Amino acid sequence: MATFTAQIDLDVNGDVCRVEVRHHWTLLRVLRESLGLTGAKRGCDRGECGSCTVLLDGKPVYACQMLALQAVGRSITTVEALGDSERLHPVQQAFLDNDGAQCGYCTPGFLLSAKALLDEKREPSEGDIREALSGNLCRCNAYGRIIESVKQAAVRE
Amino acid sequence: MTANSVIGTSVARHDLPDKLTGEAKYTSDISLPGMLHGKVIRSPHPHARIVGISTSAIDGTPGVHAVLTPFNVPEGRLAPDVPILDRVARYVGDEVAAVAADDEDLAEYAASLIEVEYEPLPFVTTAREAVEPNSPPVHPGGNLVGGEPLTLTRGDVDEGFEEADRTFSMSFSTPAHSPAPLEPRAAVAAWEDGRLTVWKTSRGVHADRLSLASALGVERDNVRVVGATLGAGFGGKDESRLSVIAAELARRAGKPVKIEATREEEFVAGRKRHSTETTVKIGVKNDGTVTAIHATTLMDTGAYLASGPGVVRRAGQAALYLYRCANVRYDGYLVYTNQPSAASYRALGAPQGHFALEVTMNHIADELGIDPLEFRLRNHVGIEGQAGERITPTNEIIDTQPVEGGIPFSSNGLRECLESGAEAFGWNERQADDSQSAGHIKTGSGMSMFIYRGGPGGRSSARVRLNADGSVQLVAGLMDVGEGSTTVMAQIVAEALGVPYDSVRVTFGDTADTPEAPITAGSTATFSTGTAAKQAAEALKAKILNAVATHMDDDVSALDIVDGSVVSEDGNVRLRLADVAAMVGENVLDADASVMPGSRDHIVNSFGAHFAEVEVDTETGNVRVVRYVAAHDSGRILNPQLATNQVEGGVSQMLGFTLSEEMLTDPQSGVTLNASLLEHKSPTVKEYPPIEVIFADVVDPIGPFGAKALGEPPSVGPAPTIVNAIYDAIGVRITDLPATPDKILGALNRREEA
Repeated sequence: MATFTAQIDLDVNGDVCRVEVRHHWTLLRVLRESLGLTGAKRGCDRGECGSCTVLLDGKPVYACQMLALQAVGRSITTVEALGDSERLHPVQQAFLDNDGAQCGYCTPGFLLSAKALLDEKREPSEGDIREALSGNLCRCNAYGRIIESVKQAAVRE
Repeated sequence: MTANSVIGTSVARHDLPDKLTGEAKYTSDISLPGMLHGKVIRSPHPHARIVGISTSAIDGTPGVHAVLTPFNVPEGRLAPDVPILDRVARYVGDEVAAVAADDEDLAEYAASLIEVEYEPLPFVTTAREAVEPNSPPVHPGGNLVGGEPLTLTRGDVDEGFEEADRTFSMSFSTPAHSPAPLEPRAAVAAWEDGRLTVWKTSRGVHADRLSLASALGVERDNVRVVGATLGAGFGGKDESRLSVIAAELARRAGKPVKIEATREEEFVAGRKRHSTETTVKIGVKNDGTVTAIHATTLMDTGAYLASGPGVVRRAGQAALYLYRCANVRYDGYLVYTNQPSAASYRALGAPQGHFALEVTMNHIADELGIDPLEFRLRNHVGIEGQAGERITPTNEIIDTQPVEGGIPFSSNGLRECLESGAEAFGWNERQADDSQSAGHIKTGSGMSMFIYRGGPGGRSSARVRLNADGSVQLVAGLMDVGEGSTTVMAQIVAEALGVPYDSVRVTFGDTADTPEAPITAGSTATFSTGTAAKQAAEALKAKILNAVATHMDDDVSALDIVDGSVVSEDGNVRLRLADVAAMVGENVLDADASVMPGSRDHIVNSFGAHFAEVEVDTETGNVRVVRYVAAHDSGRILNPQLATNQVEGGVSQMLGFTLSEEMLTDPQSGVTLNASLLEHKSPTVKEYPPIEVIFADVVDPIGPFGAKALGEPPSVGPAPTIVNAIYDAIGVRITDLPATPDKILGALNRREEA
């Protein structure tokens, strides 16, 4: 089994990390397995569910749909950079207050999609919120609570 | 309840901070030193004998550590019809062999080089064909499970039909669909000195431990199962084959092994809801009195039995018990096919059974010229239960799914659900039939009602301990599967003990630390483990008060625990629990409870009524749910915010079953055609309708603090409610789910041709 590897520098959550990757490894795989950042989840590995959503230069992307090599020179933000349990980010706090999750597997992806929306639009309409989150599936279907969470985060920010 | 009661308040979800920060560890997030990765080889045939397996292409390959085949596995079984690996494959995707290698890439490559020689066998992919006399048997003994249908009767349906002025019969079908939890199943297995530890996607660590121990031939005490944070399951994750394979690979390799199912594997091998065909025959008087109900269901369990018998049983309960009726009968046929295996999915057979019954009842109400709500108000089962004579001996706990009459319910808020739901929806003010109006967007309203078992599950245990720092530890073998039982159990303990909610710590889901518990299934956790937790907390409270009283030199007035402190009635004693812990020192105060939850005098059931308004586009066939009202009797609601989330989620999830989801299998090849989230078409945030959730003001006299079952009931109502609304909108009754645009347009065309 022939594999090709490369040493790359990735800018993740403000830190530059040098990692050795195989050429075919996705950004998701490198985040989870090489860097131990397991907040981004592997729900489908084929761009269907959004549970691997991270921010690339502030825009939400599916980390399973790009190679780690393609992320060189870009700024990557994962859920780990948002806030910790002592100091939650306003979006996280809004999800806590409005019960915007059940099993939590999709939650990091939703948080990052919501953050990207709110960074771009201070007062999104409900239509804007639904559109911005439509690339993230929640199989618990906690959508009602998620919409409420994002609405409240918009008010607070 | 006291003034500052935590019961009935919306404390934040206990495990949410970890989930919001990415700290929560799911099974696939676990990584051990030296861990290998496993890959399963799956059958390309729907039915085949495995003649031989050649591993010569990978023998001696560096980095490949173990291969498991049907020819080298231990003889133990996971279930009577499921060995670890079998020499017969029974569906496309069935586990045939497995390999463990240094990394995922190598495991996948090695798996592709293992050569399996198959002898294809005749196969059958539909339940209808499978029950025919010369159909190829999926298992020895034939395809009809048990050789005969499950038949349950009360009274005499033939007499009931004779009494009827009119008799109606309708037939329905419902699809297999996948619970498709976002987290695919996974397992990590490690051995140390003959002792096995498995981290897995689990909804019952104690049941999984038994299954692993028996399959692998290991003493139960030498197996530890840790339920990592679960990315939901909705019933689908109650099997353990993947973890057994990981454990056996790890035993052979002498290193830990992790297996993660791919999304496609999760769809195909991850268990799905049973597809059904149901015929309902109902006799009524002209005034709407129901004289007889006879339902017959043909159910496809796929390649393996799993929870099939329970599912086919549950599909009959609506016909047997939802309406006041002296003469009822249910015949359930459970059938093996060479389809991917079906198993538990939220509410088991209840959505299928209620869909058939509640659409038929609407048809009858329309034919008799009675409003569907009025028809149900006249006929729903009341708190007195069904007429008839109790058969269960008086000293035995009543089954929550009885057939016999003569037993009252512990509480029954069905009428309140019908009335409060109708009022919130504006049922009596709803728009009149506009199927004849101009324009291609038609609006309609529909409703249905349901009954659901749950609540009392199997024997449940809990332990409560006073920690040295004055906090309280609840220890139970339960799994929080994402529904929030950690939070609710902590509320129950806080209330029963008289301590602040924040001072309760919870240990769940690890067989090493916890007493036996049933799986988190059947909407039983709050009622069953909740009852045990409440009793253990009450026992601990008595011990704490006793310890304090003994310690006091003088006589003390009556003691109580209030807000985390032991206080006396006269106010002379005020002792924080941390002080009590210090006082008793090494004599740690703790208490256990083990209960068989349930009632010897009453049926404990949950109820509800759902209402929907839909828009049907007669040009595209698209159905949009405009608004939805879900009224539930689940007893006292312990945490309104979590409960609301549960109901909203259950309703929205079943929009998929009703309108879009279906696991499709090619009958020619047995291949699953749409094993992807895009093609399985689950609801997204865009389809999510406004859902108003109402809880009936019911306090059950038996459930802990008055609570009853809640998890699954929301799944039961959506299909009949929405299909009845579609009829109201366009005058077409959809009998085959999902109600996709092609079926809506086809039905409209047929109506025009007629």
